[in-house]
Amino acid sequence: MAGLTEVLRGRRLSGRPEFYTSYGQDMALLNTAPKRRAVAAIVIGAAVLPFLLTDELLQLLATGFVAAIGAIGLNLVTGYAGQVSLGHAFFLAVGAYTAAALSGDPDDRTIGFGITFLPLWLLAAGLAAAAAGLLVAPLAVRLRGLYLAIVTLGLVFLGEHVLKEWKQLTGGPGVGRPAAVPEMFGVRFDEDGEFFTAPQKLYLLMLVLLAIFAVLARNLARSAVGRAFAAVRDRDVAAAVIGVSLPRYKALAFAISSFYAGCAGALLYTVSGFFDPGSFNLQLSVLYIAMVLIGGAATISGSILGALFITLLPRFTRELPGVLPFVSAQSTGTITVFQIEAILYGLLIIVFLIVEPRGLYGIWIRVRNYWKSWPFSY
Amino acid sequence: MMSARWRAGALLAAAALVAAGCRGGDDNQASTGDGGVKTDVGVTSEPCPEAVDQAKGCIYLGTISDLTEGPFAGLAVPITAAQKAFWKKVNTDGGIGDYEVDVTKFVRDNKYNPEIHNQVYQEIKGEVLALAQTLGSPTTAAIIKDLVRSNIVAAPASWTSAWAFEDVIVESGANYCLESMNAIDYAVEQSKPKSVMAVHYPGDYGDDAAAGAKIAAEANGLQFRDLETQSGQQNQGGAIDAIVSAKPDLVILTTGPTDAAVIVGQAAARGFKGRYIGTSPTWNPALLKSPAAAAFKAQFLQSGPWATFTSDTPGHQAMRAALGNVSGNDGYTSGWVWSYPLKAALQKAVDNKDLTRKGLLDAVKSLTSVDYQGMLPSGAGNYSGSAQDTVVRQNVISKPDDKSPTGVSTVKDFFVGKTAQGYAFDKPCFL
Amino acid sequence: MDEFLASLVRGLGTGSVYALLAVGFVIIYKAMRIISFAQPALMVTGAVLVSYLTADLSFWIAVPIAVVAVAGLALVVERLALRPMIGRPVFVISIITLGVDIVIRVVVNVFIGRDVRQVGDPWGLSTVDLGGVAVQERYLAMLLVTGAVVLALFGFFRYSRTGLAMRAASFDQEAALAQGISVGSVFAVSWAIAGGLAALAGVFVGTGGGVDQQTWIIALKALPAIILGGLDSVGGAVVGGLVVGVVESLVGTYQGEYAPWLGQNFAVVSPYVVMLLVLLVRPYGLFGTREVERV
Repeated sequence: MAGLTEVLRGRRLSGRPEFYTSYGQDMALLNTAPKRRAVAAIVIGAAVLPFLLTDELLQLLATGFVAAIGAIGLNLVTGYAGQVSLGHAFFLAVGAYTAAALSGDPDDRTIGFGITFLPLWLLAAGLAAAAAGLLVAPLAVRLRGLYLAIVTLGLVFLGEHVLKEWKQLTGGPGVGRPAAVPEMFGVRFDEDGEFFTAPQKLYLLMLVLLAIFAVLARNLARSAVGRAFAAVRDRDVAAAVIGVSLPRYKALAFAISSFYAGCAGALLYTVSGFFDPGSFNLQLSVLYIAMVLIGGAATISGSILGALFITLLPRFTRELPGVLPFVSAQSTGTITVFQIEAILYGLLIIVFLIVEPRGLYGIWIRVRNYWKSWPFSY
Repeated sequence: MMSARWRAGALLAAAALVAAGCRGGDDNQASTGDGGVKTDVGVTSEPCPEAVDQAKGCIYLGTISDLTEGPFAGLAVPITAAQKAFWKKVNTDGGIGDYEVDVTKFVRDNKYNPEIHNQVYQEIKGEVLALAQTLGSPTTAAIIKDLVRSNIVAAPASWTSAWAFEDVIVESGANYCLESMNAIDYAVEQSKPKSVMAVHYPGDYGDDAAAGAKIAAEANGLQFRDLETQSGQQNQGGAIDAIVSAKPDLVILTTGPTDAAVIVGQAAARGFKGRYIGTSPTWNPALLKSPAAAAFKAQFLQSGPWATFTSDTPGHQAMRAALGNVSGNDGYTSGWVWSYPLKAALQKAVDNKDLTRKGLLDAVKSLTSVDYQGMLPSGAGNYSGSAQDTVVRQNVISKPDDKSPTGVSTVKDFFVGKTAQGYAFDKPCFL
Repeated sequence: MDEFLASLVRGLGTGSVYALLAVGFVIIYKAMRIISFAQPALMVTGAVLVSYLTADLSFWIAVPIAVVAVAGLALVVERLALRPMIGRPVFVISIITLGVDIVIRVVVNVFIGRDVRQVGDPWGLSTVDLGGVAVQERYLAMLLVTGAVVLALFGFFRYSRTGLAMRAASFDQEAALAQGISVGSVFAVSWAIAGGLAALAGVFVGTGGGVDQQTWIIALKALPAIILGGLDSVGGAVVGGLVVGVVESLVGTYQGEYAPWLGQNFAVVSPYVVMLLVLLVRPYGLFGTREVERV
């Protein structure tokens, strides 16, 4: 019978969606046909967008993809491993300046070594940030909960101070320096080419990198390391009792998260090409925390959703004056669009966390569950 | 399952068709407008949204400023308001050729952040001919390459000496470097200080002024010390300690108003009796209501690129008439003055029948003088020569004055000190 | 020596402001086990309220009114944004307070406008001579007021029923509930007290140079103070605040001479360095109680 051979080969019978007959099938990343189709649709859709959207939207989306890489990193340490970290801005800074220094122009005012080969400086940025993360890890072992949060915050302030002083690396606050130069095999991604404009190239580059990083993170989350992280998050004393080495896994969580942050930092400013050391402050850390919490803690797709949402939010609020007449686009009206932008950001954080603690991903799950059992969903 | 696949495919195709409409529009559409004037981006033959004469076309200028939360929001809001009033007056007086100018539709906030500045610039870039205002030096540095590449002229809301070396930037007034030189020369004339300390923000705002101060101090044989301080009330402790312990005779202050109040007030409370000369962004009329007011009145002078809001030149009067009843603030003066070169350039471009971006840039480069209606000395507004020959070197000195709405009144009208006069200006001062 | 004493008094003065803020943080932590990032916003609200009220009223009347008003605002915040969140992870609630902080600050910034607002205090910059050292009057006022407030708080916690209820609830919420203590009102009272303390601190912060849109950052200086002192110790918060103030002031005075390689304005980050050093030795702060985790 066709059914029997399929079962023996470990394939799912058609019409039996949750019936797994082999361990590999159960653990597979895309183990149901709808999942495969949906992911294919999203990937193809995203790849087709550069030919459909204007350059400035593509730049925004590219920035959103890079922010998603950073958000995934933060999610790994705060969502999956439960180590509250308000210091993400510090690791972003380490990555950004490593990459900028490696690929910068040697004749410029600021430090530069002229190595513009993208994979090289990206990896270096990630490793430098991971090293910084390893240095911070012992603090995580010793401190718990909110103490750790404040200490990582202190890291951000210390980092800010060092960056402001180290003028040769950063150019100094109020001046800044050029960002990393994305170049691979002679192709410069931040300049227009014959077939693609710079934003199109950057967008595709960031899409590919995001896909790679997201798959790696997802794999990590469902591996033994991911399970260890979850154990550390839920009850670290009990985890230690069953043999999960706390120092080792906390250090690993920080190192991996910082690696992601470093790569994100390195790529983040290639879109605008110029950055200032004053950007790496508490507000940047809070931005990433918001991405993680609004998107959904402990989910990779949640981080991506949250990052895109937060990145696109200012753009959408800027369209508001066209829709709501009492919101003024000028700087002197009673309610200006800029104030709305700022308030909306704060309100969204509050509302999301109160109403839907699982974030955008949680909303998606609710929608999906509703339609799964429609018309019997109640 | 087959039908589901077809359905999904059809939906995707439909979505793609819809989205395809969004793409496009970033090529320049060169065309010829009314009266045979060549145009490309940012110029339309439809009237402006708030047009005075509905028969005229519209030139769109963009504004990117720090309108909410950066350190210079206090000045940026009046600057933007003054520019709105300026161009409104231009429109009421007949516009520029067959066009009126709009600076209200494309106003964006940059939060004094280079990335946001770049993002909002990309948003409005495709719709504007030039930028009526781009505020901040790191922020403008983030877009300068694109400005140069796209031939977009921009009027900066800052006075750093780097702008004299960029063709696309139409700056006005003496830069901070030359201003500090003039301030020190004036002080040497008045009170013969023996030591100078430059207390400044980092970056090309403060570093520029400090560089100028150093040059002038050395030229005059004075002791010089450079002290950098960060923005923020709580960060001034180091500066205050240094001033009080080193006791310089003159302090060149290049910070913002709140920090100036803290520094001047606290240093005075600890017994410092030296004098201060501050650049114009360091001042704010509210300082005279602060506890440090007495110290300001006794010890502070302000150097500036032009005379204060209440002065009596044709330009100032026109500005006050256009703005109506507003509390005095030299942000208005700055915004107003910065708009003159753009107006002259636009006029010239329309006369040349070339209102494309390249045409506007060529018009700028061919300007040998701009009519500032008396707000700047004659000879200002020369963008056609080298920086050395064309940069404005004159400054105005004002003192705090309770009776003036801006809090200051002019003490010495336009003058140029010998250091600034003789300085060979071949690169930005702070590099 | 004079310089040292002057610097010390300045440090104690600013430290007392940090202490007020830190006590506010700690009171909320003791009740709800969260760090409320809304304190900076409440601080600025208090300062701005006083700056508006002193236009018509005397400073000494405006300050209590502002303190009560901000305490009321804190109550509203607690009821609206935090009461629904009881039982959720503490980190999430702390981020909600961050959202509240952003919202309140945007609204208050509208009232601050572009200029610096003065709080209209009677001390200004006048100095008084104490044993040969010139000391600004406002620092003495800060120290005195903080001392009085801290004493009042200690008395409140020790001798009043509500104080006893708060101490019980912070020790063990369930047992307190079983004893009939309304833990909800304990939360409300702790937020109200924290709001009032923040407003008072804000008024003092405004005495030096006024309050503008960037003043809220000063409240973050209280964070190293509470970590230093221990998150759940009010006395530790006071000590921590004073230590942070003194360290900042002394480093500011002497770092330029002895360690210029640390960079300009190292004094601003020196509290965080001290915090890290203390944590290396005592991970729960100087006076914090060691968490006992039961599995």
